Amino acid sequence: MGVVKDLKNLVKGLGITGKHLGRHAITIQYPEERWTMPERSRGIVVLLSDKETGELNCTSCELCMKACPSGAIKIEFHRDENKKKVLDLFDVDNGLCCFCGLSEEACNFSAIKMATKYEFSVWNKDELIWDKDRLQEVGRDVPYVDTRRKKKARLKPMAEKSTETGTQESDASAAESEPRPESGEPSEENKQPEEDQGGRPPEGGGA
Amino acid sequence: MIAPVVAVGELKGLFAWLYEKLQETGLPQPWLDVVTYAVLGLVVFGVLSLLALFLVWWERKISAHIQQRFGPMRVGWHGWYQTVMDAVKLLQKEDVRIAVRDKVVFFWAPVVGFVAAFLAYIVMPFGDGLIVADLNIGILYIMAVTTFTIISLLMAGWGSHNKYALLGGMRSAAQVVSYEVPMVISILSIILFVGSLSMVDIVRSQSGMIFNWFIFRVPFGPIAFLTYIVAATAEANRTPFDIPEAEQELVAGYNIEYSGMKFAMFFLAEFVNMFTVSAIATTVFLGGWNGPFLPSWLWFLGKTLCIVLLLMLFRWTYPRLRVDQLMEFSWKFLVPVTFANLVVAGWFKYAGWYW
Amino acid sequence: MAALRTEEFVVSMGPHHPSTHGVCRLILTMDGEKVVHIEPVIGYLHRAIEKICENRTYPQCVPLMDRFEYVTSMACEHAFALAVEKLAEVEVPERAEYLRVIMVELNRIASHLIFWGVTAMDGGAYTPFLYGLRERELIIDLFEMTCGQRLTYNYIRIGGVSRDIPPEFVPQCREALKIISGKMSDYEGLLNENPIWLVRTKGVGVLSPEMAIAYGASGPVLRASGVDYDIRRNDPYSIYDKFDFNIPTQPNGDCYDRFVQRLDEIRESIRIIGQALDGLPEGDFKKKISPRFKAPAGEVYSRLESSRGEMGVYIQADGTTKPLRVKLRGSSYNHLEVVPEIATDVLIADLVMIFATLDIIMPEVDR
Repeated sequence: MGVVKDLKNLVKGLGITGKHLGRHAITIQYPEERWTMPERSRGIVVLLSDKETGELNCTSCELCMKACPSGAIKIEFHRDENKKKVLDLFDVDNGLCCFCGLSEEACNFSAIKMATKYEFSVWNKDELIWDKDRLQEVGRDVPYVDTRRKKKARLKPMAEKSTETGTQESDASAAESEPRPESGEPSEENKQPEEDQGGRPPEGGGA
Repeated sequence: MIAPVVAVGELKGLFAWLYEKLQETGLPQPWLDVVTYAVLGLVVFGVLSLLALFLVWWERKISAHIQQRFGPMRVGWHGWYQTVMDAVKLLQKEDVRIAVRDKVVFFWAPVVGFVAAFLAYIVMPFGDGLIVADLNIGILYIMAVTTFTIISLLMAGWGSHNKYALLGGMRSAAQVVSYEVPMVISILSIILFVGSLSMVDIVRSQSGMIFNWFIFRVPFGPIAFLTYIVAATAEANRTPFDIPEAEQELVAGYNIEYSGMKFAMFFLAEFVNMFTVSAIATTVFLGGWNGPFLPSWLWFLGKTLCIVLLLMLFRWTYPRLRVDQLMEFSWKFLVPVTFANLVVAGWFKYAGWYW
Repeated sequence: MAALRTEEFVVSMGPHHPSTHGVCRLILTMDGEKVVHIEPVIGYLHRAIEKICENRTYPQCVPLMDRFEYVTSMACEHAFALAVEKLAEVEVPERAEYLRVIMVELNRIASHLIFWGVTAMDGGAYTPFLYGLRERELIIDLFEMTCGQRLTYNYIRIGGVSRDIPPEFVPQCREALKIISGKMSDYEGLLNENPIWLVRTKGVGVLSPEMAIAYGASGPVLRASGVDYDIRRNDPYSIYDKFDFNIPTQPNGDCYDRFVQRLDEIRESIRIIGQALDGLPEGDFKKKISPRFKAPAGEVYSRLESSRGEMGVYIQADGTTKPLRVKLRGSSYNHLEVVPEIATDVLIADLVMIFATLDIIMPEVDR
């Protein structure tokens, strides 16, 4: 009879929800308990420093700035008496950043990374723009694989003494995690760009 | 004048002491009774308010654990006084008043609803001898009094001066009215065997073994119980009959214009109503306060909370019925079934197959 | 005594509403409970993705395509990657193709789980939403392990995928699939046979196959109306011709069939992923694409079967690093057009069910 079948299905539905009453809840109480983020998790952008000297790995090549689709990175540098680039300004606007990871992938010098940190709420939107020192400080305890020595062997010698002292990590994990120009033209990546390469939006259109 | 029932059972000593204290005050007799009943009424009111607060917390916890999450956890151990804090918050809210002529109707709607919810507890047997007044028309009185909530729904819908609130109020009133009929008839099928309308008599006639409970009087007992539970869910405006409260429906409920404490009164009245219909189910079908070893009020509370748990499971499992399907279900299905059930019960009584 | 006069009234089921999925405004003309006329107003979620793409290089467009339809991001990226690869004749390594299929099918399951939960919630059953999300957590944990994000992945790139899967992916994926197929009986038992649900959805919002084809409906909506058309089989792309899977269809085209259709599709996706995991070859996961990738001049339209229907990307390129014009085709736009057709002269509750079972997602409508 239709009514008996309906009643049976209704009771089946009750059984499915009722059996969950005996199970333990699967949520955690944030902020007392926190989830351990997977290592590839893309959180905020940080600047990495050399593990021994403590200086920034960044060489002001501006590749990350050109790779960023949102225009969140702002870089300014000048050349000192040895014609070596010195980084003046490195601002990341976390309000514009879309956490895509393209800047991390563009960098050849293990200078920029998406750390697994995700808690950076502020009361004022201007505080979302982080400068070089803040980025470096937050990036000090972020573990990373230093791929510079390996890349440096294939690059044109640019007499960057600070990077030569960097320790070399294992190559195997580097090879599989970073899409680097293994067989391509490394000089092309390093060439000073003349024309407008990336889709960097015009200045002043941001936050 | 109906004298208060002399307590038998567990709380006899306490009630006798209280009555003695009242007699010592030296009031003349009519006033003594008035004061006695007033005190009893306040006690019942206090107990029920606490129960309503407990029920709100319990609903949140049950719904959370069905969904495999925790529910309130921060305010006290597992959030036990969350409802108190919510009430405090609602007290602080701005009391929105409507600038039109029917302010009286708007103001009194939650009051009527709140009072109507508590009126049924005058004859509710909380335990052996724990009843405010054992009227000899007990169950009839309850059926009459539960219809007061309809007045408050209509008042709320009208007084809100909002066409959607009015539509919502009318829909809820139609729903409550149409589910009154199956509810009353299912209870009637059982009352045939008690011979009296008094709640205490109904419970007493189920004493003895568990199989004396009316739910086990096959074939009309279980059917009456099922139809009663369905009608009770609709009376309490719970899913699958919660059209008045559903946000997904465009026409919102009757209480959209209420804020702050007035809204809290509607909200608590809903939970008290839920407890009322469960308590009636316990009394009529599940043997009331009968049970071995434990105190009788504990049995009553336990059985009622089981029915409340069932209503909560209904809410968090089933989807919602559409308005016209709801009315169709009541008039075209429940009413014929309950009348047929009544005829069968009458036949059983006439043929004497049950005592 | 004057005769009773009735009047229709106009109500805006406004942009903020619990059951329009996203910000869609429906201006309803109602006669009591019955809906007489519907006028959808869209554009509240317009983010000018197509215009922005004209100022971005091809690799930079991929994070934007993620946001085109963020519930099935992988399919959006895949559509764009397919279009550019077709234009520039880039060959994708086989391992990358297999990884793409795995990711897109996992995303399809996640999207259907959300659909199941949200539709049940619109019908009044609040619990399936939490159950669907609980299983979806298993899937997006897999995504987070691979590419680092849980919603907008930026994973499927032009020329392959961005990173290889970590070694713990395959066992965890199999475990997740086992759990989800175990829970399918729960999902089906909760609502499919429930008399209240049947009475709410059977016979409601019938979409005939002719009307579905005329409006350009696609995906589960089309298949639930009985039309046996699936781009993965009728117009195969990627490596779908290597897998063995059924295309379920339903006979009636009412809300119930659209609801059940997606649950059937979850089972088929589980089969495809199982086969892909078994046959996953070794090799490169990416063909190297320079950041200054230039696509040859020309135009291309490529389409794929996303969880909502046909998702298409049309690119007009002029030989520079940036596309000249990108046009996106989302299936929800066509499905929204169907709503005034089949949801007139029904009650409000039916309109809510119809809107929910068509699985309309506003970012796909507004872009």
